[in-house]
Amino acid sequence: MKVVLILLFLALAVAAPIVVVSDYWHNLMVLAVVYAIATLGLNFTLGLTGQLSLAQAAFWGIGAYTSALITVRYEVPFWIGLPAAAAVAALFGVMLGFPSFKLSGHYLAMTTIGFGIIVRLVLQNWQELTGGADGIGGIPAPSLGVLDVDNNFKYYYFALAFLLILALVAYKIQHSRAGRAFQAIRENEMAAEATGVNTNRYKLIAFLFSALYGGIAGSLYAHSAGYISPDTFSFDQSVVFMVMLVLGGSGSIPGTLIGATLLTFLPEWLRFLKSSYMAVYGAGVMFMMIFFPTGLWGLLEMIYGKLTRRPVEVLSPLEKTEEATAAKSPVETRKSS
Amino acid sequence: MDWTTIFQLIISGLAMGAIYALVALGFVLIYNAVGIVNFAQGEFIMVPAFFGITALVTWHLPFPLAYLLVLVGMAIFGLVFELIAYYPLRHRSFLPVVISTIGASILLKNTSQLIWGAIPLRFPGLFEAQTLNVSGVRIGFQHLLILAVTLILIGLQYLLFEKTLLGKKMQATAQDKQTARLMGIPINQMIAITFIYSALLGGVAALLVAPIVNVTKDMGSLIALKAFSSSIVGGFGSIPGAILGGLFVGVIEALAGSYVSSAYTDAVAFVILIAVLLVRPQGIFGERISEKA
Repeated sequence: MKVVLILLFLALAVAAPIVVVSDYWHNLMVLAVVYAIATLGLNFTLGLTGQLSLAQAAFWGIGAYTSALITVRYEVPFWIGLPAAAAVAALFGVMLGFPSFKLSGHYLAMTTIGFGIIVRLVLQNWQELTGGADGIGGIPAPSLGVLDVDNNFKYYYFALAFLLILALVAYKIQHSRAGRAFQAIRENEMAAEATGVNTNRYKLIAFLFSALYGGIAGSLYAHSAGYISPDTFSFDQSVVFMVMLVLGGSGSIPGTLIGATLLTFLPEWLRFLKSSYMAVYGAGVMFMMIFFPTGLWGLLEMIYGKLTRRPVEVLSPLEKTEEATAAKSPVETRKSS
Repeated sequence: MDWTTIFQLIISGLAMGAIYALVALGFVLIYNAVGIVNFAQGEFIMVPAFFGITALVTWHLPFPLAYLLVLVGMAIFGLVFELIAYYPLRHRSFLPVVISTIGASILLKNTSQLIWGAIPLRFPGLFEAQTLNVSGVRIGFQHLLILAVTLILIGLQYLLFEKTLLGKKMQATAQDKQTARLMGIPINQMIAITFIYSALLGGVAALLVAPIVNVTKDMGSLIALKAFSSSIVGGFGSIPGAILGGLFVGVIEALAGSYVSSAYTDAVAFVILIAVLLVRPQGIFGERISEKA
């Protein structure tokens, strides 16, 4: 059953740009793939490890700028730009991982928000390095030796290949010792530590992978768009990544992919609402959280479980009750003045 | 570095800091009551600013009446917000609620844009750009007003929480919901009142700050983020911490914006935040460490 589903999705992903012949939609599909990679990254920190990070757009931006700057300034090929982007982003990821030793929850969220805002301000104001508000143009298209990936149709398959590999890697990690350690930290950090999980080390690893995926997504974005500017890599975009993850199904790879794809196309499908579509989008997010807090994937699993009369245990950080959270962080007992 | 300029910067920094403090109080009160950081807190400033524009510019109402209408509007807004964005999710963990408030923020920003348009609007102030000249130091009336009103409000809030039964009930709810319920305190009502009060604080902050900034759908976002960092700098969950943290961030921001780099002014609050979190996670005036591993 699962294999059938995966093949079905894969066929859909491969067929989509052939069925829909329009450069505009091909461009959106590329964007959906890029977003999916970045959101897969966020799944390591927020989804699996439960570390609320709101800096994914900053890693995405660091990746995009690294790749764009070295390919434009030093005329090196994409194949050097991409690993450089991944490495630089990962470095920043580890840097941002350190505060997670001491901080969690809202505090960590705020630190990551601050980091994202500082990155964006640097991109905007360090004229000599980043070109400031004007951004960088003329970013070359990647080349596969004989074939230049120079239009959205080709780029889609190019990026899709990256997505498939990265999704597979993410799956392997999730089901490895590290993946179990991540989830142990999410469920109960103290218990994880007591059973011998080096929580600090695994938090760093989670942040590293999160930023690495963000960086790769950034590089792929820069070389597809050909032009980047600081506005793209805002705090709002980090929020969009988080919403993609949570709406799709936090902690699950298929959920992540569904969320990213759906939320890339949703604004287009809501175009008929004209200027009110963003308002409807916001209302939709609230609606989902009120009625389906486990996200679309959790919903699908539940329906599947009902159909086959097999109870499916949905493990998601969103399912925890108030009592469980209260036991973990003593927020309820705080003094108010 | 002449002292007149520094003094002027400190006054304007204190004024902006007072705004951060008011918004930070809004954050902290909701956090203490329900354990949730409201990511739509910025919209608690943006919405009343637009209400004010409608009342003052479109309807040409006199200031006192317009101000009153804005505050009444905000009380209703706070209640509706609580009923939609928080109440249905009250038994869930913090992440769905946080995301629900983010959804609310997107909804509010874009609805405001639909109603009031995308062009930045000017909010009429009580005293245009008048300044007071104290031996060479020029102080804006609006800045003085901000400081005075904030001071009075903090005093009133102290009386509310320490001297009235309602305030004590609200505190009890924040400290321990279960026990408060056993004592016969209607905790859902208290939580609703807390949201209303937080919205009113936003309303006052908006009326004070709107005349010196442009009114746009995004006006609240950065103020709220800075206010939130101020509250952490001061010591999250602590009311004096929120106030002092706000003033501290406001002053440092004004000085750094003038003497270090004006382009990076908006980064100052977060640099302070990250530095404080790394060195002293409980905040400068913090009493207890929460959510610490």
